[in-house]
Amino acid sequence: MIQLFHVTKYYDGCLALSDISLRIDKGECVLLTGPSGAGKTTLLKLIFGFESPDDGQILVQNRNIARLRRGDVPYHRRTMGFVLQDFKLLPHRTVFENVGLPLIIRGLSFFESRRKVTEALRAVGMEHKQTTVASVLSAGEQQRACIARSIVISPIILLADEPTGNLDPQLTTEIADLFKAINARGTTIMMATHNQQVVERLNGRILHLECGHLLSDQGAYA
Amino acid sequence: MKRFWYFFREAFTSLRTHQASTLIGIITTAFTLTSFGIFLLLYHNVHNIIGRVQHNIEIVVYPKEGIASQKLQTLQEAIQADPAIDSVTVISKKDALKDFNHQFPDEAYLLEGLGESPFPASLVLNMAEKIPSTDIISNLVNRLQHNPDIERVRYNRDWIERLTLVITYMELGSLIVGGILALASITIIANTVQLAFYTRQEEIEILRLIGATSLFISIPYIIEGAIIGALGGGLALSFLRGGFELFKHKTQGLSIIGGFSSVFDFFPLPLSVLLIAGGVLLGCFGTLTTMYGWMRFRL
Repeated sequence: MIQLFHVTKYYDGCLALSDISLRIDKGECVLLTGPSGAGKTTLLKLIFGFESPDDGQILVQNRNIARLRRGDVPYHRRTMGFVLQDFKLLPHRTVFENVGLPLIIRGLSFFESRRKVTEALRAVGMEHKQTTVASVLSAGEQQRACIARSIVISPIILLADEPTGNLDPQLTTEIADLFKAINARGTTIMMATHNQQVVERLNGRILHLECGHLLSDQGAYA
Repeated sequence: MKRFWYFFREAFTSLRTHQASTLIGIITTAFTLTSFGIFLLLYHNVHNIIGRVQHNIEIVVYPKEGIASQKLQTLQEAIQADPAIDSVTVISKKDALKDFNHQFPDEAYLLEGLGESPFPASLVLNMAEKIPSTDIISNLVNRLQHNPDIERVRYNRDWIERLTLVITYMELGSLIVGGILALASITIIANTVQLAFYTRQEEIEILRLIGATSLFISIPYIIEGAIIGALGGGLALSFLRGGFELFKHKTQGLSIIGGFSSVFDFFPLPLSVLLIAGGVLLGCFGTLTTMYGWMRFRL
């Protein structure tokens, strides 16, 4: 599903990732751990096509991301969902409009979009908030809406960068359970997190990064 | 179809939610186009006046003495066919005498007893409004002078040369000033769009995050730019019309060439539409330059 071969990335001469090689199979739940600046976000950005590697190759569904043409990058992103710590919802739009946006980009019909948005909102327990404007949602609701937006396209891979970073322990557990349920339906999950509670809850494969180096690659949390 | 609806809805929602930057954009476009419009209005009127003056250029052709009326008519038709000529008036010997008597009634006695009119017949040529240039007129005169049926050609060469020079300088000046103003307009509008654009970077980031192409992201902004440009153009047109009417009202009493109001006129409909279209183009172009600059450095 995802393969990295000797991937190296620099930011203004500073090493962000060094010679990373790994393979992630379909349906896996991978947790990227490590201190701030370890390279977790960089790794996710590389896979998502937000950045290009300075060296090495990245294959996502047998497609070489490092050689992707600029115009093909958006189409590559459409195969994945990306959940961020700071939610990234359009504040003046309703939950329905925010979640339905990826479907408009794909040119889906109104009825199909409506069905998919309703399904996604039901999956995250936000069906009753469809008409609420995003800016008035609580942090937990915003993150749920963000997850709904990511899964509305039925992605094969779901990337998440500290999705519980702004949430209290109760909400953290809820969001972690949501990711677990999404993973159980066959979606490959790759999540960067500091949160031990999330690591324990998701019980996935742990990749530990430090200063851009992959220090360990462990199986499921004991 | 859904996307099409989305683009327009996005553009209008954005105009509504970012009222301050929309207003700044419209006002900037309006003022820029008003300054350009004042220049255009001046140019349009001066050009009209010069056109009228050009129309008054006369070339008088004297056919050979005793030319047959059939030949005179052929000559008139041949001259009339020239695109530089607007009209040809035949003044017969009798008409010339009548004119003299009419213009100088006190001197009419001088010609008494001469029998037939002593004045030669002539053809008075009026030039087409936009044609005259020294070269065209010189060529025409040259052709006429070599015609075996023509005795003499009379025209005011110096005056035509001076007028042609004034027109050339005016058109060159218009081109330079118009170019500078258009460039300044694009720069100002591009900067206004850029300011509005930076306030919406977050939105663009979100769209990129969910796989929107640069074109998909750009279209609502371009529509927005076009709407701002059209509204700015419309406002500029209102300012110009208001200013023009005020100017006409204030100068009504002045008796230069029968009052300014009879000399100056406002843009005709096609030019008014062109000004609004100019606003739309400026809005689109300003947005495109900003979008292109912003997008090319980002994946």
